[in-house]
Amino acid sequence: MCLGIPMQVKSIDQFVAQCEAKGVSREVNLFMLQGESVEVGDFVMVHVGYAIEKMTEQDARSSWELYDEMLATLSAGETDA
Amino acid sequence: MGISAKQWLTLIHEMPISQPIKIMNVCGGHERSITMSGIRGALPKNIELIPGPGCPVCICPEEDIYQAIQLSLHEDIILVAYGDMLRVPVNVKKSEARTLEQAKAAGARIKPIASPMDVIQIAEQNPDDTVVFFAAGFETTTAPTAAMIAQGVPDNLKILLSGRLTWPAIHVLLSSDSPGFNALVAPGHVATIMGPQEWAFVVEDFNLPAAVAGFSPESLLAATYSVIRQFESGKPFLDNCYPEVVKPTGNVGAQKMLSEVMTVVDATWRGVGTIPKSGFALSEPYRYLDVNEHFPGYHDDARKRAGEMPPGCDCAKVVMGEIYPNECRLYGKACVPRHPIGPCMVSDEGACRIWWAHTKR
Repeated sequence: MCLGIPMQVKSIDQFVAQCEAKGVSREVNLFMLQGESVEVGDFVMVHVGYAIEKMTEQDARSSWELYDEMLATLSAGETDA
Repeated sequence: MGISAKQWLTLIHEMPISQPIKIMNVCGGHERSITMSGIRGALPKNIELIPGPGCPVCICPEEDIYQAIQLSLHEDIILVAYGDMLRVPVNVKKSEARTLEQAKAAGARIKPIASPMDVIQIAEQNPDDTVVFFAAGFETTTAPTAAMIAQGVPDNLKILLSGRLTWPAIHVLLSSDSPGFNALVAPGHVATIMGPQEWAFVVEDFNLPAAVAGFSPESLLAATYSVIRQFESGKPFLDNCYPEVVKPTGNVGAQKMLSEVMTVVDATWRGVGTIPKSGFALSEPYRYLDVNEHFPGYHDDARKRAGEMPPGCDCAKVVMGEIYPNECRLYGKACVPRHPIGPCMVSDEGACRIWWAHTKR
């Protein structure tokens, strides 16, 4: 439940943004970033559906690369007895 | 371009290290990255990386899970909880429901959720039902719960709050006779919300190195390098090796929401006991949301005594960094992800589950 996912803001309706990460789209709540100006195109770190902080595109992309590697390892390795 | 993981490793190997350094992390995400990337094995032999109390599911009090199970079985409610919580076993007779998943199989209405936004949606879709949100988690999940409440919730939503702060557990360990570590890598997303200064006590009160880290191998190695260097120089300070996301103040808006909606109270940690000022409770103006106000009699204080880990399970020692997962007697034998005995094998953030999933067998 604690994994943070960087996502890009695609549209904003009050405190709800449509965000995207690697082609996957979902609603993200912006209520925790009221003190910040969040605009379409910005990147945010998302925890349990809530944006907790803004981040740069470069940082978001390097996180996505890391998750790609993790997912590849998981799909190859997670077997249990 | 920043320094690569390989370059960080070279820098670490080039440093003179005069004595063994044990570095604790407090985050399941950190432990997952460390284990998956193989950092542990790539470090010099006298550098040890110890998974500490970084799994909220693992330390969620047994009495809270028991309460959630009983509420779901005996009251006409819909209980919603993060998916990880559904498989965590409590200590009851085999004839009784040991997990929320078993309660669901017995007919209880239980729905897994991934976000407080799902909770609102379920409450709105079921206006004639009472929906109870079993809200377990550290600051990273509790702050969104506070935001959900501050934003306004439907009348039919009640909350079983089981939120915890991470730093008090480290304070308890460092105050003990044998902390088991002498440097700390602090959790990046907890610091994103609460601010890195929350961890300054490690340096100021205990004179030990500390560095906030992100989740990439580069950031974790940067933090590892930092704490080793601090240790060797004898001049510890609180470093921020995740500045791209962690601001010096943290998320001030989120902190305000937390302090408006919740108060900090002494709280039980499963297998550990009561840790002062380590839990969240709803503040007075929001107490009306507390499930205990509406369904009294389900919170059984006497269970705190029984609230240890299951018989034979060493999760408590794993959580507090006293042993590694594979030193537990049940690890990989009676306890595997498909048939977990202890919570550390249930949660994706549990050290046992992480080690098992990534070939530490």
